[in-house]
Amino acid sequence: MTIDASASEALAAAEGYALGRSESLWGRAFRRLLRKRIAVGCLVVIAAFYTVGLAAPLIAPYGYSESNLDLSFHGPSVSHPFGTDRNGRDTLSRNIYAARTTVIVTLATVLAGSVVLPLTLGMVAGYRRGLIDAAINRVGEILASLPGLPMLVLINATLRPRVVRAIAHFEDGVHWHGLTSSGFADFFLIFSVLSLFGWVGYARLIRSQTLTLRGSEYVLAAEASGASTKRVLFTHILPNVMPLVIVSVSASLGAVAGSEIALTFLGVGIQPPHASFGALITDGSTAAVLRNHPQLLLVPAVVVASLIFAFNLLGDALNDVFTPRAQ
Amino acid sequence: MDGLGGYVLRRLLFLPITLLIVSFATFYVTRWGPGDPISVYSGQYRDQEAFDRVRHKYGLDKPIVEQYGIWLKDVVLHGDFGVSFRFRDRSIPEIIGPKIWVSARLGLYAFILEFLIGIPVGVYAALKQGTWRDPFLISVFLFFQSIPVLVTVPILVLVFAEKLHWLPNGGFDGLFSKSMIIPTLAISLPGIAGIARLARVTTLETLREDFVRTARSKGLGEYTVVTRHVVRNSVVPVMTTVIGLSLVGLIEGAFFTETILGIPGIGRFTFESVNGRDYNVLLTIVLLITTLFVLANLAVDLVLAVVDPRIRINGGGK
Amino acid sequence: MSNKLTLTILGVAAVLIIALAGALIYFSRGGSDNKDTSAQSSDTPSSSSTASSSTPGGSGSSASGELRLRGDDPLVLDPAVAQDAGSALYIVEIFSGLVRLDKDLKIQPDVAQSWDVSPDGKTYTFHINKNATYQDGRPVTADDVKYSLERALSPDTGSVTAENFLGDIVGAKDVSRGRAAEISGLKIVDDATIAVTIDDAKPYFLYKLTYPTAYLVDKKQIQSNPKRWTQKPNGTGPYKLKEWKLGEKITLEAYDKNVLGAPKLKTVSYDLAGGSSLVAYEDNTIDITGVGLDDLDRIQDPTDKLNKEYVTSSRQSVDYIGFNTNSAPFDDPNVRKAFAMAVDRKKIAEVILKGAIPVANGLLAPGVPGHTDDDKTYAFDPVEAKRLLSESKYANNMPDITLAESGAGATVGPTEEAIVADWKKNLGIEVKIQQAESGTFFGDIDAGRYQMFHLGWIMDYPDPEDILDILFYSKSKQNNSRYSNDAIDQKLVQARTEQDTEKRLAIYRDVEVTLLKDAVWMPMFFDTTHALIKPYVKNFEFSPVTLERFRDVVVNR
Repeated sequence: MTIDASASEALAAAEGYALGRSESLWGRAFRRLLRKRIAVGCLVVIAAFYTVGLAAPLIAPYGYSESNLDLSFHGPSVSHPFGTDRNGRDTLSRNIYAARTTVIVTLATVLAGSVVLPLTLGMVAGYRRGLIDAAINRVGEILASLPGLPMLVLINATLRPRVVRAIAHFEDGVHWHGLTSSGFADFFLIFSVLSLFGWVGYARLIRSQTLTLRGSEYVLAAEASGASTKRVLFTHILPNVMPLVIVSVSASLGAVAGSEIALTFLGVGIQPPHASFGALITDGSTAAVLRNHPQLLLVPAVVVASLIFAFNLLGDALNDVFTPRAQ
Repeated sequence: MDGLGGYVLRRLLFLPITLLIVSFATFYVTRWGPGDPISVYSGQYRDQEAFDRVRHKYGLDKPIVEQYGIWLKDVVLHGDFGVSFRFRDRSIPEIIGPKIWVSARLGLYAFILEFLIGIPVGVYAALKQGTWRDPFLISVFLFFQSIPVLVTVPILVLVFAEKLHWLPNGGFDGLFSKSMIIPTLAISLPGIAGIARLARVTTLETLREDFVRTARSKGLGEYTVVTRHVVRNSVVPVMTTVIGLSLVGLIEGAFFTETILGIPGIGRFTFESVNGRDYNVLLTIVLLITTLFVLANLAVDLVLAVVDPRIRINGGGK
Repeated sequence: MSNKLTLTILGVAAVLIIALAGALIYFSRGGSDNKDTSAQSSDTPSSSSTASSSTPGGSGSSASGELRLRGDDPLVLDPAVAQDAGSALYIVEIFSGLVRLDKDLKIQPDVAQSWDVSPDGKTYTFHINKNATYQDGRPVTADDVKYSLERALSPDTGSVTAENFLGDIVGAKDVSRGRAAEISGLKIVDDATIAVTIDDAKPYFLYKLTYPTAYLVDKKQIQSNPKRWTQKPNGTGPYKLKEWKLGEKITLEAYDKNVLGAPKLKTVSYDLAGGSSLVAYEDNTIDITGVGLDDLDRIQDPTDKLNKEYVTSSRQSVDYIGFNTNSAPFDDPNVRKAFAMAVDRKKIAEVILKGAIPVANGLLAPGVPGHTDDDKTYAFDPVEAKRLLSESKYANNMPDITLAESGAGATVGPTEEAIVADWKKNLGIEVKIQQAESGTFFGDIDAGRYQMFHLGWIMDYPDPEDILDILFYSKSKQNNSRYSNDAIDQKLVQARTEQDTEKRLAIYRDVEVTLLKDAVWMPMFFDTTHALIKPYVKNFEFSPVTLERFRDVVVNR
């Protein structure tokens, strides 16, 4: 569930990663991955989840906030396969929209936190070395030594009002409405804060990989033949660190999904009436609700557990693919 | 050993700098956000002028940087971490001391449980590699790891407390009571899987080592080989790497478990302090955990360096 | 990986998911079957505890018995500083003031035996009971009263509400703003007599003295231990703080020499840890518990064994949606009225709150003088609501609307979500809910940043002034809805000093009706406490405002 832990798992996973020709490596890796049925199974689960999430408005039979007080706490029926909650909202639809929230948060966070930030910072630090390297390392070290979750809560609690106000101000300025009302501010804050704490582990991995690559013969050869820094970074180093990025991404997705739930439970995540698994799980886990209407907890719990389980298994599989030694 | 000594020294020297930066950042972020402890704890009476007078009393009307300077001076010169705005008649160590004690004990229970279950399972799975037992065990525990603590706790409570009445449904009445069982289980479940997987990998590696083969060829029984050679050689690295990692997991697990079950530990207290804008208490907690993390990481590095001289500490990696 | 292993893993995943689901459903469904066994198992410890507690019985003629409750940590046990409801529960037992409210909310003597009011209604002369003592045995003098009030107001004490409750005393504001050390309106006549002069003939002044801000504290103790005296306060109330372990337990013990006589109940112990208190009640580890909405169905069922222990009691408080009358679109009364009419409060109360909490029929809760039984609020009328909305100046350019509410952790209450759903259904307006934790929330309310907000008001003393004047007088610091109406202001000022009770209440009733017609608030619900009390606990009553309540309790476990 923690970002740090999964980063370190990815670290352990990537330890044995051997250098190789990128083309053949990719081809081989993909073929090996497909040969693992378990990985394919995971990919199917994950793909299904993301499809449902992205297509939520098309698939969901009802809106996420569409309530009907006459149907409060109804059990499963034909029109509501998983029953309704206290406000008479369709549990199935709420879960489908929650999937959309998870999709948005995971994609945004992973793009920023596990790809863009660590890739840029890691490659720059590893390739440039010197002062920049030291600076990035120290900042990373400090961020890594902070207690993650309490800091997330703290930042979200104190800064959200400011962010919301800033965005509202921005809206007034450009006469472009709907940002605050769509909950954009919440998503923005969650993923930027998660990214802030998530990049360190991966950046370190990429840095050390870049360091190794930098000394390799073909990079030296490319440099000797006068290739620009940009060119070296993009054509020689980037393709070779990509496998690491893939492993990082799969390792962190589950953790990010878990963090959203945690933050929402603590009241600093997605704001209602938007549906999210954090909100659904919190609602469903009240003792009395759980006692009388277990499906309200069960549905989101099973979906979330399956998703994280799939991510974890896929992470293991990718690990095997890129680190043949661990087999 | 000179390199190692220098390394430790550098890391230790860097600690105060880290704490300084962390304290300033935390100080600034908490006080910059809207809302302050005075307005949180004034109930339904909203008299901004009266608030201002109380703010003045506690120096909250000064610029943040100046407040930080005063706070830092008090900490460095007097070891005084400031007032708690929630519990105004107690000093901060007095407030958080017992809570840390509770959480630490809970963490220790969970930690022991993680090892007691995780390592045997991991070693067993490795020994049974190639049969159904290996993937079965590993996936069972991986599945447990995938269930958020927020789901585990209510289910455990429902089953063991509300239905079976075997265990209390939360609360806290001492560390040696039945009420510790549910939180310990909930906190350790995710960690068990991690440790089992790690123990499995290291055991597999150890099994391939020469000395194991030698021992086997000498005709030692399988049991002796496993206990004498394999476990000893695979458990130590697992212990050391995991201590650092587990710490994070335990702290975060405690955060939720304590909040849901009402255990008076530091996790629940941190959350309450965020909501109460109890600046100084929060700052102290953040600094404590930061120190703990830095020291734990350092200890892990050191133990690893001693156990396995092949690991070069300056090698940029970690 | 071989086929076999793949199948194993997938199989395990499937089995685990199904097992989890099955177990959960089994245990939740099995509830009714298990009831008998659980009842039996919880009976056993009760019989054993009866045996153990009967042994030391009859030890003394004075206080006896122990009442066990769930509680929370008080923030600080300084009556002048603590303003949260949680701390007040303990403070009213440990401390006391010159006068008190009895169970019928009538003013009664406490430390003061009697008092005279001057003909102009501005000077109160209190005669201190010669038997009034602090819990360390020291008698209370007029000097102690003067010290306590001045200390509460002093800026060094850091009280945010002292001015609110004591500000009517002549010269009080000079002390609270640091311009004077002594309150000019306090005169010590002799050791046992003190005269208090207030700025106008306000009939509700004595009510304000029943609030903790005016309670007596011990000068000697505070001066010898200024920072930590509250850990073992020396009050004048019926109970001493015997033990307080942060986050674990609080124990109160009867003070036998209390001025109003020795309490009958010897010990009150609070378990400060969490967990479901209903389960603890069923397991006989606590004697009184509140009942949550979702357990009400079961408790209200006459065949349930807990039904006989079920009590309800109304609280003087009102839950409401407040409109900021200074902010678009709620500066238009038509919009406010439309919003108020578009919510089916009866249905929400029935479904979400299971009919456990009454829909508010006005601003003054039952029991508050001036309360009437007729409904003064707008009835649910979606058609009229839509018509009003179309007549408003925002009919075609409705801005985005956000409903703010205080709260952190978990999710927004289901009532808010139901209210917002009603607005969407009946007005076609999508209102967003913004949840802010209390620090931010109240700061933003004070700054007038919200368009509308969900809030509650708990009466501090049973007088309509405590809600109408404080929250709707245009110059009040608490005028959250930024309402300004000259006619209302005039009436409120007039009511402050109206000596004829009937006339005074008539003015307040009039104000209430006008405010509701203008839809400044949409009152939602009044409050009701639902609780279970063990049959062996006698004379325990929940009070409509926070009052001491253990003195007469008898526990014969």
